[in-house]
Amino acid sequence: MPESDLSSPSRTEPEAARRAPALPLCTVNDLFWLLYLYPLRMLFAVLPRACFEWLGKFAEPFVQWHERRRRERGIGTILTAYPAMTRNQAAQIARECVTNNMFHVLDDLLLLQPPGGKMLHCTSIQGGEHLERAVSDGKGAILLTAHFCANRIALRHLAARGYPVLCVHNRRPSNRAQGELGRRILQPRHIELQRRANPDVVYVQDAECSLKILQRLRSGGLVNIQFDGVPGFRTIEWPFLGRQWRFPAGFFDIARLSGAAVLPVLCLGRSTGFRIIFSPRLEVLQSPSPDEFVDRNMPAFTQVLSQQIADHPGEWRLWTHL
Amino acid sequence: MEIVDTSLTDTARRIRRVFVESLGLNLSEADLDYERKLDEYAGLDSLAILEFITALEKEFGITIEPELLRLDFVSDLQELAAYVELRTADLSSSPPQ
Repeated sequence: MPESDLSSPSRTEPEAARRAPALPLCTVNDLFWLLYLYPLRMLFAVLPRACFEWLGKFAEPFVQWHERRRRERGIGTILTAYPAMTRNQAAQIARECVTNNMFHVLDDLLLLQPPGGKMLHCTSIQGGEHLERAVSDGKGAILLTAHFCANRIALRHLAARGYPVLCVHNRRPSNRAQGELGRRILQPRHIELQRRANPDVVYVQDAECSLKILQRLRSGGLVNIQFDGVPGFRTIEWPFLGRQWRFPAGFFDIARLSGAAVLPVLCLGRSTGFRIIFSPRLEVLQSPSPDEFVDRNMPAFTQVLSQQIADHPGEWRLWTHL
Repeated sequence: MEIVDTSLTDTARRIRRVFVESLGLNLSEADLDYERKLDEYAGLDSLAILEFITALEKEFGITIEPELLRLDFVSDLQELAAYVELRTADLSSSPPQ
């Protein structure tokens, strides 16, 4: 692809509009989720926290084996993003990614327990002054995050500390490994459980989604949008990690129309020990034109995420999901 | 010939015009079924409503309170127009700073 094509964004049609292929009735992935959502979840509701670690360590070799194809794809993705990296280094990152993803899923079970929030161990919050400064002008702040494993537990911890964060999620995230059972029953159940663990959520499919976001921002509150996901109906293609990436156009619309601060946040670790790092708010360059607004701000937004991922590649969840 | 809905106040008509313009609708203001169209847009892409709200606020020089940022309020043209009239009256009656 010529260089000029890479540097110019293109606005694409909604992914949801594309025709979904026929799915098998049940896949191995569905069976995993069935096990996770019912017997495992019920069992862990009564077991002590140490069991989460124990189960994670016990299950890790099996999960690594099961995810071997995804891991292999992840290695390719990592090498595309970082061409100077060796295959061994990329394989190590992909392995860490699978492990961290597994613990991320187990941490979700912890959040479902009644005292879940109290069982989280935050080791440090850095840059808290940036958060204070960002919300001080009363227009709220949009937390710019990527898909890091510790996001959910970190946001839950922030809420417990008096900083509730409205999370914007997709009610129907794509999962190529799921069958009809997963799509029709298990995924909605999983989304519902996630909502129970963190009720402060709004889905992009909701008709009032943007109004709820604006409501929160205008009250001086916090909204989290995972910028590297595609939680919306319109996307913007932009070069990122060595490939054309689809970013949510809605993020820019909200930033442009609300005038809220955009604050990069990085959440690392897992429930047994995690840290939250706030960076200084980004200088949002205003423009009345939506396209120009994207062009002026996208480089800074993607630069922040690229740096976070480059610094902590094993904690970014999406290497094996692409 | 344009048909003017005489049951609407000037404010309501202005709101309808802002709605049509902010969303770039390819229809005349007179042809607009405001509530149906707004619900339709909200269902397709709720960000369109955000575009409309901010254009509305700019047009009238007001800021809608957070608690009123609800679809049922925004989609009720009469109620919205009454609110806008009240807010603009407040603005004009308050002494300059």
